[in-house]
Amino acid sequence: MANTEKEKELLERLKNGVIQYDEDSVKEAAQEVLDVGMDPNEAIFDGLVSGMEEVGRLFETQEYFVPELLMCADALYVGLDILKPHVTKMDMGVRGSVVIGTVEGDVHDIGKNIVKMMFDVAGFTVYDLGRDVPLDKFIEEQIKTDSDLVCLSAMMTTTMVGMQKIIDKLKAKNPNVKIMIGGAPVSREIADKWGADGYAADANNALKEAISMVSALKRMRDESRQQTK
Amino acid sequence: MSINTMNSRERVLKLFRDEKVDRVPCFSGMGNVTTEGLKSLGYKFAAVHLDAKMMAQSAASTYKLFGFECGVVPFDLCVEAEALGARINVYAHSEDLLYPTIKEKVIHNEAEMEISVPEDIAERGRVPLVQEAISIMKQEIGGEAAVGTYVLGPFTLAGQIMELNDLLKLSFKKPDKVGRLLDVLTGAIIKIAKSYEAAGADYITVREMGATSDVLSPRVFKNLILPYLGKIFSELKGSTVLHICGKTNDIALFMKESGAKAISVDQKNDLAETRKKLGNEALIFGNYDPYNTLVTGDEEKIRSAVRKCIDDGASAVWPGCDIWPTVPPENMKTMMDEINKYGG
Repeated sequence: MANTEKEKELLERLKNGVIQYDEDSVKEAAQEVLDVGMDPNEAIFDGLVSGMEEVGRLFETQEYFVPELLMCADALYVGLDILKPHVTKMDMGVRGSVVIGTVEGDVHDIGKNIVKMMFDVAGFTVYDLGRDVPLDKFIEEQIKTDSDLVCLSAMMTTTMVGMQKIIDKLKAKNPNVKIMIGGAPVSREIADKWGADGYAADANNALKEAISMVSALKRMRDESRQQTK
Repeated sequence: MSINTMNSRERVLKLFRDEKVDRVPCFSGMGNVTTEGLKSLGYKFAAVHLDAKMMAQSAASTYKLFGFECGVVPFDLCVEAEALGARINVYAHSEDLLYPTIKEKVIHNEAEMEISVPEDIAERGRVPLVQEAISIMKQEIGGEAAVGTYVLGPFTLAGQIMELNDLLKLSFKKPDKVGRLLDVLTGAIIKIAKSYEAAGADYITVREMGATSDVLSPRVFKNLILPYLGKIFSELKGSTVLHICGKTNDIALFMKESGAKAISVDQKNDLAETRKKLGNEALIFGNYDPYNTLVTGDEEKIRSAVRKCIDDGASAVWPGCDIWPTVPPENMKTMMDEINKYGG
């Protein structure tokens, strides 16, 4: 797919618009993407997402903090809302659906929303249960939607503990479901101990984790299909 | 042989007065009610937030059962927001340990940010209930253990009464507007904290966890939030602690400059580095992990965590956050045993 000079310029504007949380600039560039007939999928991944990747780096090196991250996310969504309706196929090599929410007792949803954004751009179907979600609601929703992935978020130590119960119940009902937990108090140690398949202390590594989990799931299915042959 | 020559109250009070103590105190400025304590009283967690006597007895039980050197009320983070008009959820239906949360905010959009604080803010919501709980606790254990309470810092309180999402973005886009709100909230916090001092609290912790460097840059902390924290600490006459969790090494100096008598940091802080930066005289409380160490850790993990706090230079061995109530009794005992052995 050869990029014309114009396409390169648009990708650059989308990327920088996200990094500089410039919603107007993203809006204009996204509209031009459609006008010139450029592949919107490419604009999302090589423009908006690569901007967000840079934001992730700025966040990691503490040049950006949460307010900047939120403003960048707003700019990304401006572009995504324009481009996504025109995407015919999401070509990330994965398909999946995810149930996501903040556990009961916790009303903090910023981390959850950042993770949700990353699923949105990756083309997942996202069932967002919101915040302060009763434990059983996660289980009901997973069964109802047959989602591959359940993401639980908790911002405080005092609410994180509730996640263990959900993990146990989900795994009992459906051993194949992948569970990802996230939030400031969460650690690798806790994820391992409670039997979660992945964890994200912040939004940065959440998408990578999510994709590798769904890939693993696909591999498992392929293998079991081969065995039954 | 015991190294203790003071009771817990004397020890904690002397610490705040910069006097010599017989050993490093082991207490907290945040919630430390335990399931074991609730069980000994026959109380459900959901019920103790709404009754002064039950609240006081529950808080005192951690001292009574384990010798943890304080009693602290309340247990949730909604008291000030409720007094300002927010509606809360105490999860009365739940058998689980759920802390009350805000159900309905006070400010719903940017246009509603110009609020004023009622004169009688310290008579509203559950503020009088907490005052009463402090007085009851004072009678129950006040001769032997320190009686503590806490209020939220202005930025964290702002995050309770409006969408945190909006607050964070506005603190970047419109810092003046956020500053005016913080100023108003600072007035409310001072009134409420003074009423707790009058009720007999030995020390007050200001919990400003919303301003952690995990969320906000040290620059924004210094420019936007620190001035209001300074105002609070200059108004309070008694012993004070400023607590911020998460990453705090880059703002530890500002925390001290706020005028708080002591600063409190959690396990993400490199306490040895903070001690070096703030010097030998500063009171630094911290910083064991109240869940991964105290609740789920084994004996050796707990003992070494206590020793590490002391070796790193903590003035008091103190948790990074509320102690999660299901802490096993033997773990509390192990911690207190180690402080008695190693704290001198």
